[in-house]
Amino acid sequence: MMRQRRTWPIHLTLIAVSAVMLLPFYWVFKTSISGENIFSYPPNIIPRDPNPFYYVDVWYAIPFARYFLNSVIVSAITITANVVLNAMAGYALTQNFRGKGFVLLLFLSCMMIPFQATIIPAYLITGKLGLLDSYLGLSLPLFSTIICIFVYKAAFDAVPRSLIDAARVDGLSQWTIIWRVMLPLARSATATNVILSFIWSWNNFMWPLIVTRTPEMQTLPLGLARFLSYQEDSTGALYAFCIMVLAPGLLLFLMAQKEFVQGLSAGATKG
Amino acid sequence: MDRRSVLKLGAAAAATLSQPAILRAQSSKKLSILTWNIADQEALFKEEFAEFKAAHPGVEIEWLDKKGPDLPAFYQTQLVAGTAPDIVDLQGEIWVEWAANGALLDLTPYLQADAEFAKLFNPDYMSGWVYEKKNYLVPFYVAKTLLFYNKLMFKDAGLSEPPASFDEIIKFSEAMAKAEKTGFITLNFDWLYWPLMKMNGIELLTPDLKKPAFNTPEAAAVVDRLAKATASGAINKIAWTGRWVEPNGAFSSGTVGMMQAHSASYFFVKGQGRWINRDTLGAAQAPGNWSTPTNHGFAISKSSKNPDLAFALIKLMTGNKWATKFAGIRRVLTANIEADKACLASLKEEDPLAHAVLETQLEHTDKMTGNWPLANDAQIKDAFWPELQNGLLGRKDAKTALAAAERAVTRVLRRS
Amino acid sequence: MGLAKPADGKRVVLRRSTRRAILVWAFLAPSLLIFLLYRILPLLWNVVLSFEAWSPLKPAVFIGLDNYQEMLFDDDVFWQALWNTFGIIASAPIGIAIALGLALLVHSNIRGREVYRTIIFVSYPLMTVAVAIIWRWMFDERVGLINYAARSLHLVDKPIPFLNSFTWALPSVIAANIWQMLGFYMVIILSGLQTIPGNLYEAAGIDGANAFHRFIRITVPLLKPSLFLCFVIGMLNSVTSFDLIYVMTSGGPGRATEILITYIYKLGFNETRFDYAAAVTVTFFILLLGITYLANRLSGGNAGAVERE
Repeated sequence: MMRQRRTWPIHLTLIAVSAVMLLPFYWVFKTSISGENIFSYPPNIIPRDPNPFYYVDVWYAIPFARYFLNSVIVSAITITANVVLNAMAGYALTQNFRGKGFVLLLFLSCMMIPFQATIIPAYLITGKLGLLDSYLGLSLPLFSTIICIFVYKAAFDAVPRSLIDAARVDGLSQWTIIWRVMLPLARSATATNVILSFIWSWNNFMWPLIVTRTPEMQTLPLGLARFLSYQEDSTGALYAFCIMVLAPGLLLFLMAQKEFVQGLSAGATKG
Repeated sequence: MDRRSVLKLGAAAAATLSQPAILRAQSSKKLSILTWNIADQEALFKEEFAEFKAAHPGVEIEWLDKKGPDLPAFYQTQLVAGTAPDIVDLQGEIWVEWAANGALLDLTPYLQADAEFAKLFNPDYMSGWVYEKKNYLVPFYVAKTLLFYNKLMFKDAGLSEPPASFDEIIKFSEAMAKAEKTGFITLNFDWLYWPLMKMNGIELLTPDLKKPAFNTPEAAAVVDRLAKATASGAINKIAWTGRWVEPNGAFSSGTVGMMQAHSASYFFVKGQGRWINRDTLGAAQAPGNWSTPTNHGFAISKSSKNPDLAFALIKLMTGNKWATKFAGIRRVLTANIEADKACLASLKEEDPLAHAVLETQLEHTDKMTGNWPLANDAQIKDAFWPELQNGLLGRKDAKTALAAAERAVTRVLRRS
Repeated sequence: MGLAKPADGKRVVLRRSTRRAILVWAFLAPSLLIFLLYRILPLLWNVVLSFEAWSPLKPAVFIGLDNYQEMLFDDDVFWQALWNTFGIIASAPIGIAIALGLALLVHSNIRGREVYRTIIFVSYPLMTVAVAIIWRWMFDERVGLINYAARSLHLVDKPIPFLNSFTWALPSVIAANIWQMLGFYMVIILSGLQTIPGNLYEAAGIDGANAFHRFIRITVPLLKPSLFLCFVIGMLNSVTSFDLIYVMTSGGPGRATEILITYIYKLGFNETRFDYAAAVTVTFFILLLGITYLANRLSGGNAGAVERE
C-alpha cells in the first residue's frame, strides 16, 4: 500500500525560513530602487517612488565595466585553477600513502591561519614573484582552497569501492578511473567548488585592496569605497552597487544547480 | 624555425621590450600621492595636477585614494615593501606614530627655507603637527568640534542661549529630555569628546606625557555625572556607542537637543534633517571654548625619491589659489588664511548658517585640546576609551572604570 | 600489471605502490605550493616575529618570550577576545544543525525544492560588508526593523539596544553570521547527501527501518565527512568573520564583540604592533589547531572519512 507523504508541514517550514532569509535581502533591494534613507523611521515596507536611476548612478560613478571585467578575469582564473588543483588533491587524499596523516594535518592547519595575519608577508612574497598589480597576483592566493579539497575528498570517499574495483578489473588505468568514473560521480562537488571559489574570489576585498596599485586593475568590490563615501551615506547607490555585485554569483549558482542536480547519485550504482 | 629567424625575432622582441624602458627613463620622475577618502574631488585634483605638470614637464602623478580604515593597512604594507607613496594625506594623530618611527620626512627645513609659504597658514593649526620640535605636515583641511543645538527643542524647554558651562550642559539636557527625546549627544572617535573633560579641568596625561593624570576624584565625579545623565536619558546613549552615522542620524532626526561634533557634521546633518535652517539650528562654541581638532595634512614619506618635487606639489595644492578653490567647492576650512577668508566671505551671503558653523572653526584656536603628540596615540586610545565607556554606560562605577583605564594606560606608557 | 620486466639495464620499472606514491605527491604538489607561499611562509614570518620587537623601518631585536608574557599576564583585552572567540565557536553547531535540518527538508522530494534551495543560499554571495550594514540597521535601537516589528507586535514596550548592549551585542553578531552562512552549510551538506546512493534507503526501507532509523544508521554516518567539514568551516568562518564584526560593531561596545581576529588586525594596522600581533596570531593558530584536533578525534579520525568494508 502506498503511503502518501504529507508535504505541507515541510512546505510551511521552508516558507517561513525563506521569509527570514529573504527579508534583509529584500530591504537591500528595496533601498536600491527607492533611495530612501535606511535610517528613516518608521521603516517603509513598500518602496516609495521606485526608480532604476541608482543603478545608472553606479554605472557612471565608477568605471564599472572595467572593474567588472577585472573581476571576471580574476574569478575565471581562480575557478579553473581551483577545480583542477582541488580535484587532484582531493583524489590524492583518498589514497592510502605514507605521510597521509601528516598531509591531512597540514591542510587542516593551513585553514587555521587567518588572512589578516598574512597580509604583509603575502604582499612581500607576491612582490618577489613579480606579480604585484597583475591578474595572476590577484588570483594566486585563492588558487586552491582546503575546504574545496575536502569537498572533493568527501565526494570521492563516497564512491563505492566496488565500483572502483570493478573498473580496475576491467583493465582501466588510474587516470581513466579518475576521469571516467570518479569525477562524473562527483559532479555536485565540482559544482560546489565552482560556486564557492567564484564567490570567494568575486567578493574578495582586502587582498585586491593591498595588491593593486593602478586604478585600472581594481576589482569590483573596491568600487564599494566610492559609495561608502565620507558621509557614509547608506542609501540608493550603495545598495544598487551591492545588488550589482551580487547578481553574477547568484546567476552562477542558478546555472550550476540546474546542470548538476538532475538525478545524480540515485541511479549511479547497482549494489 | 631556423636559428637565424629565431635570433631575429629575439632581437626584435628585445628592442620592443626595451623601448618602453627608454621612454620610461625620460619621464622617470613619478610622484605618487595617497589621499584619505576624498575621491569626490577628482575633477579639482585633475586641474591641479595638470597645472603642476605644465610647470614641471616630464613628471607623472599617480593619485591613489583610500577610505579611512583602509589607508593605514595600505600605507604600512607599502612601507614595509619599500614603495611608500611620496605624499600622504593623513588624518588625526596617526602621523605622530609614523613620524616617530621614521616613516615621514621632517619638513622643517623646507618651511624655513620658504618662510613666505609657511606664513600662509594659521599658526595654531600648524603647531598641531609638530613632534619633537620638528614639523611634519602641511595643512590640507581642518575642522574642530563645536556645539550644534536644536533651537526648537530649546524653545520648548524654555531655553534661549546655548550652555555656558558643563553644569548647564547637564541641566539643559535634563530639561529637554522626555519620551524619546534626549538632550545631548557627542561624537566619540579620535578624542572628539575630550572638551567635556577639559572644561572640567581634567587632563589625560602629565605635561611630560609620561604618566596618566586623569584618575582623580574630580574626574570620577564628572564621569559619574555623565553616567547618571546617560542612564536617565538626558544624554543619548549613542554618544558613547555610536560612530559617525548613528550620532549624526539621531541629531538630524530632530530628537536631540545638542550635539558636539566638528563642522563636517553640519553638511551631513543638513542633508538628512529637513527641519534644519537658520532659525532652527544654532552653532556655538562648547563651554570654555574648548574644542578637539580633527585635521588633514600632507606629509612626505622619508623613502620618497623626489622630496623636492613632492614639496612643490604640496605647495601648489595648499597654496592660495587652489586652497581657495578647494575650500569653496568642499565647504571646508584649510587653515590657509587667505583661502579661509575668501571662503567665509562668499558663504556669508550664500549660506549664512554654513557661515556661522565654519566661523567657529577659526575662533579660539588657542583652546584646542584632545590632540597630544603621542607616538602611541592609537594604543592609548584603545586602552583608555573602552574603560571610560564602561564607566559612562554604567557597566562599572566611575572610580573603578578610571582606575582600570589608568592601569591600562600606564602599561602602554611603560612600553614606550 | 606492475610485474617487473626482466632486468635489461635500461628501463626502470616501478612497483605499483611507488607509482601510486608518485602520483599522489604529484597531485598534491600544486596545492601544497600555494599553501606554502600564502599560508605556511606567512605563518613562519609571524612565528619568528613573535619573538622579536620590530616596527617597520627599524631592525628587529630578539626579545624571547616577552610578547607572550605580556599577552598572557598583562593584557585584559586578549582574555576578553579569547572568551568572545570561544563564544562564537560554540555557536557554530547551532548554524550547522539548522542547516542540516534545512538540507534534509530540501533534499526530500517536494515540489519547488530548487526554489527553496536558491532562496536559502542567496545570502551567501552577498558581500559581507553589505550583510553587516543591513544587519546593523536591522538591530538598530531607534530605527531598526527588529525593534520596529517587536514593538508593533507588542512583544516589548521599550526598544532593545541590541548592538549597544554588552549582553546582546555578541549574540546579535552571531545571528547575522548564521544568517549569512546557512546557505553555505546547506550546500555542503547537500553535496554530501547527494552522494549517498538512494538504493541504500530503499534496502533499509524494505528491511522495515523507519525514517528515524534510516537517518541515524545511514544518513549520519555517511554524512560524517560533510558534517566534519561543516563544523571546521563553521568554526573557522565564525572566528575569522572579520568583515562582519568590523563593520557591525568594530569590536564594541567596549570589547564585547572583540574577537581574536579583530584584535590581531587592530594591533597590527591601528597600533602598528606587528610583533605583538604575531604572538597573538601564533596563539590563535595553536588554539584553532587544538580544537580541530579534538573535533577530528570525536568524528572518528581521518577527517571523518568513512572506512569501508
